[in-house]
Amino acid sequence: MRTVTRSFLRHLYRRRSLSLLQLLGIACGVAAVVGMALSARSALSSFSQAVEFLRGKSTHTLERLAGPMDESILRQLAADPAVVSFAPVLERRLKLGNGDLVRLLGIDPFLDRAIRPELSRVPFERRTSRSFEDSIAFLTDERAVLIEAGLARTLGLATGGSVPTLKGPLRVVGSFANPSGEPLILMDIAHTQKLLGLGGRIDHVDLILDDEGGFASRWREGYRIQSKRQRQDTFGAMVGAFRLNLEALSLMALFVSVFLIYNTAMFAVVSRRRDAGILRSLGASRAEVAGAFLTEIALFGTLGGLAGSLFGFLLSRALTEVIGGTISSLYFFLRTAPMPWSWWVPAAGVAVGLGASLLGSLYPLVELTRTDPAVTLRGRSGSRGNRRRAWIVALAGAGCLIASILLLAFFSKRVYAAFIGVFGFLFGLSLLTGVIMVLAEPLLGRVLASFGGLPGRIAAGNIIRNLGRTGVAVAAFMMALSLSIGLGSMIGSFRQSLIWWMGTQLRGDLYVSNASDMEVPEGFYEEIRGIPGVGGVDTYRKAQVTYRGRAIHVAAIQAGVLQRFARFGWVEGGDGHWEAVKRGDVIVSESFARSFGASPGGVVTLEGAKGPVDLRIEGVFYDYSTEHGLVMMDRATYIALYGDRTINSIAVFIDPSEPRKRRILDDIRARAAARGLPVSTREQFHRNILEVFDSTFAVTRSMRIMAIVIAFFGITGALLTLFIERRRDFGILRALGFSTGQVARMTLLEALGMGIVSFALSSGVGTVLAVLLIRVINLRSFNWTVFYFPDWQPYAVTAATALAASLGAALYPIWKVHRTYPQMQIREE
Amino acid sequence: MRPWIAALLVTLLSSFPCPEAPAQETWKQAVGPWSWSFPRDHGAHPEFRTEWWYFTGNLRDAAGNRYGYQLTFFRQGVRLRASDPRNPWSLRDLYPAHFAITDARTGAFRYAEQISRAGPGLAGAAKGGLNVWNLGWSAKMEGSLIRIRAQHGGMGLELELVPRKPLVLHGDRGLSRKGPGRGQASYYYSLTDLATKGTIRTPGGGAPVSVEGASWLDREFSSNALTKDQEGWDWFSIRLSDGRELMLYFLRKKDGTVEQESSGTLVEADGRSLGLKTGEIGVEVLATWTSQRSGGRYPGRWRIRVPAAGIDLTIAPLVAEQELITEGSTGVTYWEGAVDGRGASAGSPVTCEGYVEMTGYAGSLGGQF
Repeated sequence: MRTVTRSFLRHLYRRRSLSLLQLLGIACGVAAVVGMALSARSALSSFSQAVEFLRGKSTHTLERLAGPMDESILRQLAADPAVVSFAPVLERRLKLGNGDLVRLLGIDPFLDRAIRPELSRVPFERRTSRSFEDSIAFLTDERAVLIEAGLARTLGLATGGSVPTLKGPLRVVGSFANPSGEPLILMDIAHTQKLLGLGGRIDHVDLILDDEGGFASRWREGYRIQSKRQRQDTFGAMVGAFRLNLEALSLMALFVSVFLIYNTAMFAVVSRRRDAGILRSLGASRAEVAGAFLTEIALFGTLGGLAGSLFGFLLSRALTEVIGGTISSLYFFLRTAPMPWSWWVPAAGVAVGLGASLLGSLYPLVELTRTDPAVTLRGRSGSRGNRRRAWIVALAGAGCLIASILLLAFFSKRVYAAFIGVFGFLFGLSLLTGVIMVLAEPLLGRVLASFGGLPGRIAAGNIIRNLGRTGVAVAAFMMALSLSIGLGSMIGSFRQSLIWWMGTQLRGDLYVSNASDMEVPEGFYEEIRGIPGVGGVDTYRKAQVTYRGRAIHVAAIQAGVLQRFARFGWVEGGDGHWEAVKRGDVIVSESFARSFGASPGGVVTLEGAKGPVDLRIEGVFYDYSTEHGLVMMDRATYIALYGDRTINSIAVFIDPSEPRKRRILDDIRARAAARGLPVSTREQFHRNILEVFDSTFAVTRSMRIMAIVIAFFGITGALLTLFIERRRDFGILRALGFSTGQVARMTLLEALGMGIVSFALSSGVGTVLAVLLIRVINLRSFNWTVFYFPDWQPYAVTAATALAASLGAALYPIWKVHRTYPQMQIREE
Repeated sequence: MRPWIAALLVTLLSSFPCPEAPAQETWKQAVGPWSWSFPRDHGAHPEFRTEWWYFTGNLRDAAGNRYGYQLTFFRQGVRLRASDPRNPWSLRDLYPAHFAITDARTGAFRYAEQISRAGPGLAGAAKGGLNVWNLGWSAKMEGSLIRIRAQHGGMGLELELVPRKPLVLHGDRGLSRKGPGRGQASYYYSLTDLATKGTIRTPGGGAPVSVEGASWLDREFSSNALTKDQEGWDWFSIRLSDGRELMLYFLRKKDGTVEQESSGTLVEADGRSLGLKTGEIGVEVLATWTSQRSGGRYPGRWRIRVPAAGIDLTIAPLVAEQELITEGSTGVTYWEGAVDGRGASAGSPVTCEGYVEMTGYAGSLGGQF
C-alpha cells in the first residue's frame, strides 16, 4: 500500500503544473466561501457591536413615537420609582468637512456614568499637563468635542486640533477608544443642542429599570419603550433582508466552489486512470489503489483548504469594508472591524476543501475500482458510455428541476425556500449540460470547423468524446457565467427601476439637507416658501415607528405640493389619490402593502401620541427607499398624529414659467449655506442615490468576479487534463502529418468550443436566473417589484469574459503543445 | 470604576485660587460676620463656591430596632456664570448628593451617591428658602416642617423633620474658622434637634418601616475653607439624654497636630448655645478600625470630655463599617456613621447618640474644601 501511495505522490511532483493548478482550484473555491462567509459575519457582528456599545448598560430605551422629545420629561423620570438610572441622548449624523457623515452623540457625562461608564469618564480623565479651563473644557467650551481614536487618526487630529464640519469647526479636547470601532464624536448635551438648533429637546433616554411593568404602565401613552432584547430584534429585522442576501451570496460562493473543487478532484482521479490500470496490472489491489487516490485527494483537499482559508481570510478583510459601506449607507453608520484570525478559519477551510474533494472523487473512484484494469489501461472510457451516462445525469437534472419548480411554485412566500428553489433550479440545469452538449455536437463541430477547418472539427469531437471531463468543466463554467449574467441583469434592471422611481418621486429643483437624521428648521422652510417665484416647497420627514411589532417608516410630505409637481408611480390608480391624502388619508409603499397585506380602502392603525389612530389607505405606490414599508401622509396629518414638527429635508420646486429660476436657486443656496444646511440639485441628489445603490451592490459584483476566477481555473484544469490524456492522440496526429500549429489551433479551439458552449448555455440560464432573482428573490426579500429591463451589457461582458477565460485557459496547454508535440511519437502502439 | 468625577472635582476644588484661574471669576469669601436672615439663608448662596445641606439622624421603629441615616446635598460651583444662561444644561454648578442608611439590628450599612448638573430641573437649590433636590432626592421646608426623601435601589426614606430648638450659629455669630488665613472659614449653622417621623426602607428589608427619632441639619457655605497643610477633620454631633447637644470638630494637620481654629458648640436643653475652644475639649481615641475596602484606619471608639460643662462620654459606632467611597460624585472617601454612648453630663449619668464624620483617613483632603 505504501509503495502505491508513494508512487502516486511522486507522480504529483512530476506533474507539478497540473498539481499546482488543482491546488489553486481548490484554494480559490475555499477562499471564495471563507471570504464571503467571514466578511458577512464580521460586518454583521460589527453592526450589532456598534449598536450595543452605543446603548451601553441600559436595559431600556424611551423615545417618542416619532421625533425628538421635550427634555422636561427627565424630571419625571428622575422621580419615577422604577428608574434606577437614566441618560438623555441626542444622536445625529454630522457631516464633516471632507463629506463623511459621522455619528454625533450628545450626552450628559454625569447622568451617563451609570449607562456608559467608559464613554462618560473620558471627559474627566486625569491629564497632568492640563490647566483648569482645559480640564473642564468639554463642559464649558461650546465647540469642544471628544473624538473616537480611529477617526482622530484618519483625520490626523490631536488634542487641541479642530474638526471642520458643515456646522463649523469643532475643537478636539481629547480622544477615546471605541471597542466597536465606529467613528464617533462626543459632545456635551448642552452644546449639541445648540449646535443642532435643538434647544430643550432630546432624541431618546437610555434607562436602567428595575420594574419594567410598573414603568410601562406609567409611560404607555405617546412613548415607545424598548427593552434591550426588543432593540436587538428591531435592528436584527432592519438588516434581516440584507443578511439573507449576504447568506445567499455565501451560499452561491459555496455552490460554485464545491463545483470547482469537485471538478478538480474528479480530474485528479480521471487523469490517473491509466496509472491506476498499470498499478492494478502489476498486482496492486483495488483497496491499495483506492487508498492511494484517497490519500492524494485528502492531501489536495487539506492543502488547498489551508491555502484557501488563508486567501479567504485576506479576501474577507477587503470584503468586510465593502459590506460595512453598504450597511453604513443603508441602515446605520458603521466602521467594520474584520474578524480576528481564529483557528476555526483554517478548520472550516479544510472541511470545505476536503468535503468537496471527497465528494468530487467519489463517483469516479467507485467507477475506477470497478473497472477492469485492461480497460483503464486504455486511458479513458469510451464515448458511448459517456453519452449514456450524460442521459442518466440529465434525468437526475430534470428531476431536480421539477422539484425546484414545485418548491418555487408552492413555497415561494418563504425566502429560504425561494433561495433553495433557485439553487436547485441552477443545479438541475447544470446537470443537463452533458446532454445538451451531446445534442449540440454537430452544430458545435460546424462552428469550430468554420474557425479552424479540420482541427476545429476534431476539437468538437474531442470535447464530446471526453464528456466526463469537459461536461463538468463546461457545467461549472456555465454556472459561473450564468451567475454573472443573472446578477448583472438583475442589478441593471434594479438600477433602471430606481432611475425611473427617482424620476417619479424626486422631481424638486433643489434639495436642502437629505439625510434622515438631519434637520431643517421650520423657520427656514417658511422663509423659502415665501420667496417669490418658488412654486412649492415639499417638507420631508421620515420617522421609524413600530407597526404590528415590526419597524416601519412613516413619511410626512406636503400632499398639495406633490400633487402639483411629482408624478408618483402608482401600483394602482393615479394622481387623483392626492385629494384624499390632503384630507387625511395615507398612501403606502408597495413593500408595506406586500408585507402587511394592505390594500387601498383598507385601514392602517398607527399608535399616535394620543393613542391609536385609524388611517384609511388611499393608494399604493412603487418605492425603493425602504424595504420595511413606508406609510406616507400629509404633514398636517403627521403632526396631528405624533406632535412632531421635525423636517428632515425640503424639496424646492420653482414655477416652470419662472424666468429668474437660476437666480432664485442661487438665493436659496446662499440662505441654506448661512445656516450650515447642505444643498444639492436634483441631479446631484439622484447621483448620490445611485452611488449608494452602486456601493450596495459592490459585494454582489465582487461575487461575480469571484465566480469568473473560479470558472477560469475549472476550464484550465479541464484543458490541461485533456491535453495530458491525449498524448497518444497527439502521436497519431503527428503520424498523420498534423503540424504543431494545427495541433495548437485544435487545442485553442477546444478551449474556445467549451467557452462558446458555456456562454451559449449561460445566456439562457442567466436570463432565467435574472428573472428568478427579480421576480422571486427580490420580491420575497424586499417586497418590492423590480422591473425587468433587458440589457445587452451583461451578456456582452460575460461573452468577453468567457472568451478571455477560455483563451487564457488554453495558453498553458498550447505552450505545452509547442514544447512537446514536435518530439511526440506513437510510443504505445 | 475609576474615580473620574473625583478627578474632576479634585481639579475643581484644588485649583482655586490659583494663578491660572481667570481673574474675573472670584467667589465670595467667608470673611467677617454674616447678616443672617431666615428662611432666606436656608436657601442657596450661589456666590459661594461650596455649600451643603447635611441631614443625619438616629431613628427607632415600633419594635425598638435602631437605624441611622445620612442624606446630604452638595452644591459645588464650577464657574460664576453659565456660558449660556438660557440653556439649563449650561454648566454653573455641580450637585453631588450622598445617601446612607445604617440598620443596627442586621449591622447592614448601604449608601448611594449621585451627581448632576442643574439641567432641566434635575438638580438644584432654590434661593430664599430650604428647597434642594437631586434626581429624585429632595429636602424642602414648608413652614417649620422639613420634608426629606430619597430612594435608591431597595433603600429609601421619607421623613418629616420639625425643629424643637432654635437654630444655632457656630463660631463667631456663624463665622466658623477653619484656618488662620483670610477666607479660611465658612458660614455655619445647625438645627441640632429635629423631631423626626416617617418611614424608611432598608436594603433587603422589604416593606417600609415606620420610624421616629431625632435628626440634625448642618448647613455650611464657603469658598476655600481648608488649607493645603490640613489632612482632614473629625466632626461629632451628639444628642444627650438630658436635652443637651454637642457639636465638635477637629481639623487635623499633616504634621499630626490639630488646627488651633478647631472648635465646638454646646447647646443647652433650653436652646442657649455656648462656643467651645480647642483647649476646652478633650478627645481620646480608645480603639481603631481599619477599612478593608479603602485601607483607611479610622478611630473606632472615643472618650470625649468637656470639663467646663461636666461632660464625660464614651461613644462608639453602632456598626463599624459605615464608610463611604464616593468615586462617582465627590471623590472623597470618608466615614460617616451613627454612634451611641453613655457617660455623665453636669454630674448626672446620661446616654447619648448622634453621628460622627471622619475625613482624610483614606487620602488627604487638604486644600479641597
